[in-house]
Amino acid sequence: MTTAAPTIRTGLNLPLYLHGARLSFRRQFAYPLATFWGLVTNLFFGALRVAVLLALFGARPQMAGYTQADAVTYTGLTQALLSAFSLFGWYDLMRTIHRGEVATELLRPHSFLGFWMAQDAGRAAAQFLLRGVSILALYALIWGLEWPASPALVAISLLLAWACGFAFRFWVNCAAFWSPDAVGIGRFAWGIMGLSCGFLMPLAFFPAWFQRLLALTPFPGMMNTVIEVWLGVRVGMDAVQAIAVQAAWTVALLALARLTLARGLRRLEVAGG
Amino acid sequence: MADWVRDARHHFRLYRRLLGAQARSQLVYRTAFLLDAAAAALVTATEFAAFALVLPRFGSFSGWSLGEVALLYGIAELAFVLMDIVFGGYDAPTLSGHVRTGSFDTFLLRPVPLPLQIFGSDFALRRLTRVVLAVGIVGYGVAGVDVAWTIGDVLLMAASVLGMIAFFGGLFVVGGTLTFWTVQSVEAMNVLTYGGRTLISYPMDIYGTWLRRTFTYLIPAAFLSYFPVLHVLGRPLPDGLPHWAAFLPMVVGPLLLAAAFAFWRVGVRHYHGAGN
Repeated sequence: MTTAAPTIRTGLNLPLYLHGARLSFRRQFAYPLATFWGLVTNLFFGALRVAVLLALFGARPQMAGYTQADAVTYTGLTQALLSAFSLFGWYDLMRTIHRGEVATELLRPHSFLGFWMAQDAGRAAAQFLLRGVSILALYALIWGLEWPASPALVAISLLLAWACGFAFRFWVNCAAFWSPDAVGIGRFAWGIMGLSCGFLMPLAFFPAWFQRLLALTPFPGMMNTVIEVWLGVRVGMDAVQAIAVQAAWTVALLALARLTLARGLRRLEVAGG
Repeated sequence: MADWVRDARHHFRLYRRLLGAQARSQLVYRTAFLLDAAAAALVTATEFAAFALVLPRFGSFSGWSLGEVALLYGIAELAFVLMDIVFGGYDAPTLSGHVRTGSFDTFLLRPVPLPLQIFGSDFALRRLTRVVLAVGIVGYGVAGVDVAWTIGDVLLMAASVLGMIAFFGGLFVVGGTLTFWTVQSVEAMNVLTYGGRTLISYPMDIYGTWLRRTFTYLIPAAFLSYFPVLHVLGRPLPDGLPHWAAFLPMVVGPLLLAAAFAFWRVGVRHYHGAGN
C-alpha cells in the first residue's frame, strides 16, 4: 500500500503565528493576584535601585552623559522591561525538550523557530502591557519619568531588543538537546546577560575597557541601546547606527539559533511515548 | 546516656543522610552540576561586580568606601545563602510544591519529626559556591576597612550572621506556613525575604527616612547587620540610638524564628491536604 507523503509546510503561515501569539498573550492574564504582587516586588526593588544610584551620584549633577533624572528613568525602564524581556531567565523550550513534548510540536506543519518566536512575542507584549506600562506609570507618579524625544526610534529599538534577546534565549535553550540538565547552562547565560545588557548598571558607568569589551558582544543591544535612545544619550545618526548594530546582531543570532536547532533536532532522542 | 541526647544524635544522623542522598543525586551529571554551581555564584558576583566597577568612577557612596560596603554586603549575602542552605525546604515555592502534589502528606505519615524532613528536603549543593564567594567579599571588606579588630568585633559580626540566619529563616517558615492557606499571595513574602536581603546589603542612610524607619522599627532588619557594622566601623547609630542597640541581632533573629515556628504549628494543625 502506498500513501502520499505528508506535505510539511515550513514557510510563513501568518494567521497561525498570529493565533499562537494571541493565545500566549491571553495566558499572561490568568493570575491577576500574582501579577499584582509581582508589581509590588518590582516597585520595591525599583525604589532600592533608585536609592543606590542617587547615592552614587551624591552631589554630582551628571555622570557619563546621565543626569540624576536620567538615572531614575533608567531604573524605571529596566524594571519595566524586566519581565517582557525575561531577564531573570526563560526555560520554556528547554522544558519541552526534556519532557519529550518537543516531539509532538515537531509534527505540526509550521516553522518551529517561527512559532516559538510568535508565542514569545505574545508573552512579551502582554508582560509589557501588564507590568511594564504599570511600572512606568507608577514611576512617573512617584519619582518622575523622562519621556523619549523620538518615540519612533525607541519603538524600533525596543522591538529589536526583544527579538535579539529572544534569539539568544532560544539558542541557550537549545543546549537541552545536548545536556539532560541544561538549567545550569541557562542560569549561567542569564547571569552574564544581566550584567552585560545594562540591566544591573547603565553600561556608560563602567570603566572604558569593560565597555569596549561589551561592545563586541550582542548584549548591549538586548537592553542598553533602548535606554540610551530613550534618554537621548544617543541621538540622530548615532542612534540610527546603534539600532543598525542591534538589527545585525538580531539577524546573526536568529541564524545561529536556527542552525543550532537543526543540529539539535538531528540528535534528538525522545524516550517513552 | 539521656534519651534526648540519643534522639538528637539519631535525628542529626538522619538529617545528614537526607542531605547526603540529595548531594549524590546532584553530582550525577558532573558538567551540568559544575555549571549550575558556577551560575549560582555568578548572580551575586555580577551584582556586586556591577557596583564595584562603577564606584571608583563616582568616587564616593554616601561617605562609604568600597571596602566598607563590601563588609556590609558580604555578611548579608553570607547569612542569606547559609540560611537558604538550611531553611530552603521552607521556602514558599518549594513547600507549596509539596502541598500541591501531596508529598507533604507523605511527610506527615513518616515516623520522623516533620521539621527534620522539611529541613532535609531541599539541599542545593550548588549554593556552596555562593558561600565561598560571600566569604571572599567579606574578606575583601575586612581587608579594606580601617578597623583594629578586637575579639568583641569578631564575635559581634558572627552574632550578626547568626541573627540574620534566624531572621530570614523565620521569614521562610512564615512564607511556607502561609502556603497551607493560599498558594497565590506567597509572592508577597519575596518583598520581605529577597527584598529585605537586598535592602540591608547597602548602608541604610541612602534610603528615604520612611523606608529606613519602616525597616528599623516595624520590620527590624536594620538591627541585623547595619547596626553591628556601624558599631564596628565606629560610626554613630541613626536616630540617636544607643550603641548597645548594635548587639540586638542576637535577640531579634531568634525571637522572630521562635514566633515563626509557633505560627508553623498552627498551620500544620490547620492543614487538611489537597485531596490526593
